[in-house]
Order: sequence, then C-alpha cells, then structure tokens
Amino acid sequence: MTFDLSPTEDQRQILDAAQAMLDAHYPLSRLRDSAGSDALKPLADFGAFALAMPEQSGGAGFTLVEEALLHVLLGRHLVSVTALTAPIAARIAEESGRSELATGILEGTIIVAASVACSDGLLLLDGENADFAIVRTGGQLRLLDLADLARHPETALGQGRPLHRVALTTHASNTSASEGTANAEQVLISAQLLGIAEGARDLAVGYASTREQFGRPIGSFQAIKHHCANMAIRAEQLSAQLDMAAMAVRGGHEDAGFQVAVLCRIAPGIALENARTCIQIHGGIGFSAEADAHLFLKQAHVLAQLCDPGELLSLKSPMTPTRKES
Amino acid sequence: MMVRTSSDQAPDSEDEIFRLNARNWLLANVPDKHAPHEEKTARDFATSWLSNCHAAGWSGVSWPKEYGGQGFSPARLIVWYEEYARARAPSVLDCTFVGVNHAGPTLIACGNAEQKSFHLPRILSGQSVWCQGFSEAGAGSDLASLRTVGRVEGDHLVVNGQKIWSSYAGVADYQELLIRTEQGSKRHKGLSWVICDMSLPGITVRPIRNMAGVTHFAEVFYDDVRIPLSSVVGELNDGWSVAMTTLGFERKTAAMALQLELSVKVEDLITKARPKPNTAMGEKLADLRAEVAVLRAMTYRAVLRGGGTPFDGSLMRLTFAELAQRVHRTAMGIIGPEVLVDGPWVHDYLESYSETIAGGTAEIQRNIIAERILGLPREPRP
Repeated sequence: MTFDLSPTEDQRQILDAAQAMLDAHYPLSRLRDSAGSDALKPLADFGAFALAMPEQSGGAGFTLVEEALLHVLLGRHLVSVTALTAPIAARIAEESGRSELATGILEGTIIVAASVACSDGLLLLDGENADFAIVRTGGQLRLLDLADLARHPETALGQGRPLHRVALTTHASNTSASEGTANAEQVLISAQLLGIAEGARDLAVGYASTREQFGRPIGSFQAIKHHCANMAIRAEQLSAQLDMAAMAVRGGHEDAGFQVAVLCRIAPGIALENARTCIQIHGGIGFSAEADAHLFLKQAHVLAQLCDPGELLSLKSPMTPTRKES
Repeated sequence: MMVRTSSDQAPDSEDEIFRLNARNWLLANVPDKHAPHEEKTARDFATSWLSNCHAAGWSGVSWPKEYGGQGFSPARLIVWYEEYARARAPSVLDCTFVGVNHAGPTLIACGNAEQKSFHLPRILSGQSVWCQGFSEAGAGSDLASLRTVGRVEGDHLVVNGQKIWSSYAGVADYQELLIRTEQGSKRHKGLSWVICDMSLPGITVRPIRNMAGVTHFAEVFYDDVRIPLSSVVGELNDGWSVAMTTLGFERKTAAMALQLELSVKVEDLITKARPKPNTAMGEKLADLRAEVAVLRAMTYRAVLRGGGTPFDGSLMRLTFAELAQRVHRTAMGIIGPEVLVDGPWVHDYLESYSETIAGGTAEIQRNIIAERILGLPREPRP
C-alpha cells in the first residue's frame, strides 16, 4: 500500500509524451475549419488505447489511473469520441474472447463509434466510418456490429462532427461488458469532461490576463476574477473525485460503484459550467465561432450524453454513520 | 494503494485493525449528550472529552510522538476522523480547538524548549484552554493592518489595544496573541506572536452573542498588560512568519474532521427525508451526497498528496464553506414547521453562516485563488 497521491515519475513521463503527441497531431486550431472525425493513427501508434491493457494483450501495463490522466489531456484537445470508445471496446472484445477484434481496435484499424439511445433507435457519434458502436442499455455495455445497419446523416451539434441516426428495434444480444469495464468507461468519459473544464478554465484565464478594457486587463476586476476562481474550484473538485473513482475501480474497492456514480453526477455540470463561463469571459468574441470557447461547450454536451449517473441514493455510502442520531 | 473504506469486511490488514479499534473505542466512549452551549459547561464538556481521549491514547492524533501526540500517518488520520465523524463524536470545533490545532502546532514548530515542555502536555490533556487573538475591529480579512501594540519595557512587553472574534476568550487560560511590537512598522513587518496569560491584570473580556444566540466569542481589551518577553514565540518582530507556519496545518489537518462530518450530516438528511427517486428532493439530496463525497475526495488529496502551495487549501476551504451552508439550508426545508423550534439542526444552520466569513471571507478566498493560483493581475493597492 502506498499513501501518496502525487504523480509518479512514470506517470509524468507518459503524460509529457502524450502532451507532445497531442499538440503535434490534435491542436485545437484543427477544429476551426474542418469538422471531421479525428484520425486515430497517431493515438494508436502512441499506444494510447492499450495503455491500461495487460501486457499479454499487447498493452503497456499501466492502470486506469494513468489512463484517466491521459484522457484528461484528450478532453483538453477535444479529440473525437472514437478515441474514448477504442480502449473500452477493446476491453469488451477481449472479455468476450475476440482477441483479433481487440487487436484491430487497439491498432486503430477497426473504428468504434459511440452511441446514445433515442426514441427511435440510436444516435451514432463519429460513426461515418465506424465498424462497431458501443451501445448502453440498462446500464449494460455491448458492442453492436454496424455492418448491416442503415445510417441516416444528421447535422450535428458537436464540432459538426459526423452524426447519424440508426433505426433499431432490437439489440443483438452479445456479451456485455464486465462491471469493471462499464465503470472504466464512465471514468474515462468523466476524465475527458475534466479536460474540458480545465481547458476552458485556462483559455478564460489566458484571455482575462491579456484583454484590456478601461485601461486594465479585465482579469484584474473582481467580477472576472471570481468567475475564474469558480472555474478553478470546479475543476479541482472534479479532478479529486476522478482520482478517487479511478483508484476505487482499479483496486476493486467495495465503494467503486458509489465513487463512479458520484463522479458521473458532477462531471457534466462542471464541464458545461466552465465552458459557459469561458464564453462569457470572452465577451463578444466568445459568442463568435472565431474563438475556441464554443468548441468546449459543444464537446461537453456530447460527452454529457454519454455519462450515466445511475441512482446515487440507492448505493451505500462509505460514510454511513456507525451510531444512531441521539 | 488507498485507504480502505470498507465497513463490514473482516480485518485483513493493520489498517483495517486500526479502523476497527478506533471504531470500537469511539462507540464505547462517545458521550450521548450534545455539547452544551453555555461557555463554562461547554468548557467542562470539551476538556473532559479531550482528557478521556488523552487517557486512551487518542489525543493529539496529528502531533509528533515526541510531544505526546500519536504521530498518526496521514492515511491513519483520515481513518481516525472518518470513524470519529461516523460515531458522531463531539465536534472538534470546541474550546480545545485553538490549543490542539493551532497554538500547539505553532509551539511545536516555533516555540523554545521551555515553552514546549510547559504548554504542550497541558494542551493535550485538556488542562489548559487557548483562544486566538488575531482579528481586530479594523483588521478582519486584512489581518496585516492590525494595530494592537506591545512596547518593550525592560524584559516585558506592555500591551495596549483590542482584539475581536476571540472564541472562548471568556474561559481560556492562554491566548495566541499577534501584536505590533516594532513602533511605526507597517503591514506584515514588526509583528510578534506572543503567549498571553488570560489572568494577567489589565485584560478585560466582553462576550459577544452570535446570531445563533450563543456566546462563545468575545472582544478582548488590553490596558497596559505586562507580558514577559520570554512569552514571545519565535523571534521578536517575526510574528507574521510564525503565524503563517501553521496556516497550512489548519487548512488541511484541522479542517479534515469538519469536512468528513458533513458527509454524516447528509446521510442523516437522506434518512430523515426518505426521498423517492426522481423527485425534486431526491435529486437535491443526491446532489448533496455527491458534493460531500467530492469534498471527501478533496480531503484525501490534500492530506495524501505531497507538494502543492499553501494557497491550494483555499479551493477546499471554500468548497467546504459553501457546501456546509447548502446542506444546512436543505435541512431547514426538510424539517418543515419544526424549524421554528430551536434544536441541533436549527442551531447548526444558524452557525453555518460563519463558514463563509471566518478565516478569510469567501470573497477574499476567491481573490487568493485567482491571484495566487491562477496568476491573474493583483488588485490595485490604494
């Protein structure tokens, strides 16, 4: 047992390398003109999807804790949701004994879309070239083969990234993901939401430090300062809970489900609130599509749809009183 | 890996055994009665609880062993305070708080051998009670503008001025007193941190009733109070750095108990309200349950993660303050017409208004976060 929550040297190295790779291949500026899905090759080559897979399955042998920190960076760079589904789909494939499928996903040659259930079937996120989709029904995650399904294109909120409607009446019943994998999915979604909350905070603070009105940087006014402080507080809250949940899932702790439910309950609201505040601090330019602020907001809405907060009140709290109220 | 939080598994490690020992001792020894409000009986209640803890080896949990404490590791401190909260042990924010969590740690860090050997055992056993003398009527959030003076006369300081918001000053034996000892000095310079014996001639205590109707804080007046120079802690005129030594301690370790206690309060509200899923009250309580769990995660991080800056505590401090107020406001909604009758929840609700004021207002905390953590431009100084 170690009781130090400071990042280790190994963690720092992998995150520094990931940061450099993301800056080179996925700068935010790429989203200003085009709105396609991101190519997954640079991420797959980096080993991003296999980070937490066991070494015998071609993974790097890190854990969900490091993987979550990596996905915070992916969130900051607003990478397509196919980078979120890949490590989860690979786990599902591996769990159901489909090693070849898992390998294809880890290498980025088999693409897995995300999906959200809607009244007439599914909304498919980044599903244009996807071979499979992750489908969540009744808290269970499954892989859906998209080969024979018709996809009707829709105009998307996202970064205008591909969105399709798929009419679906029955779900193919194949093996569902283990509880650990379902929890890991929610941890990674929340990690990306934290990336958005942090990215929006930093963009707003940078702008407030340089933009001048009334002869002073607007960040010297308390009204702006307190908005920024609130963004920092929210990001810190989410970051602390992300650590807590990732470690509980990794360790298979009794309260893992509780910690994940807490995480999912707070993550969308925090990302959305920081994105909104970031737009507000930018003023007029924030409302335009020429600043990046709106990109954070839209991706937050996309990821919020993938978050499944469950029923937190039905779970047992680790802080249940041991003595009755007198 | 992390502190185990499981509650009903067979003990499988030393940490689990530690948790069960703490739980069993607390369940057998926590008093059934709530702490009284009246100052003198509150002192008796608090010091007798502390002395019980002391006799059983559960006092000074965060103090080093060489000073009579338990020297628990950060992880064990968390376990202790989790079990402490879950067993509804008396709030740590009683008249022993300043001694155990502020004056004591300051003496450990900056005091000389004599000061330590005299005061530390008395603090830990509940024999002497301390109060704080920092804030003044004109120096609240802006503490460095304080004006109470100590003039050096031979081997004494002659103190004149007044302090305010000094909790339990009416029943305290000693006070940690921050005064200006260098004539004409400005702001953080020329201050000294002094041990003030509250029985000295020239000290007058005027009790102040708070909005919850109880009198535990006071205004303290000093009229030519002669304090020996041997009571200065650290160097004369270096009091600001002495005061800052324990700021981080207070914000991390001392706050831990109160933060974890809030989780238990939310569990109680859920039990009380029995909300149905998908109702407004159900959603509100689920939000609060999530928020106190997040506060607990922040507590773990603050205690278990190295590095960081002293200002990081502001993020957690502010989260706690505003959340504590929301929890108590929600309680008022759940209790209904009975809120008109004074009771523990109503009392705590009224007391919670101090959370966003004491120890630096929420507004000042936000300035600190924006300027010291995010690096935004400082306020123009007049």
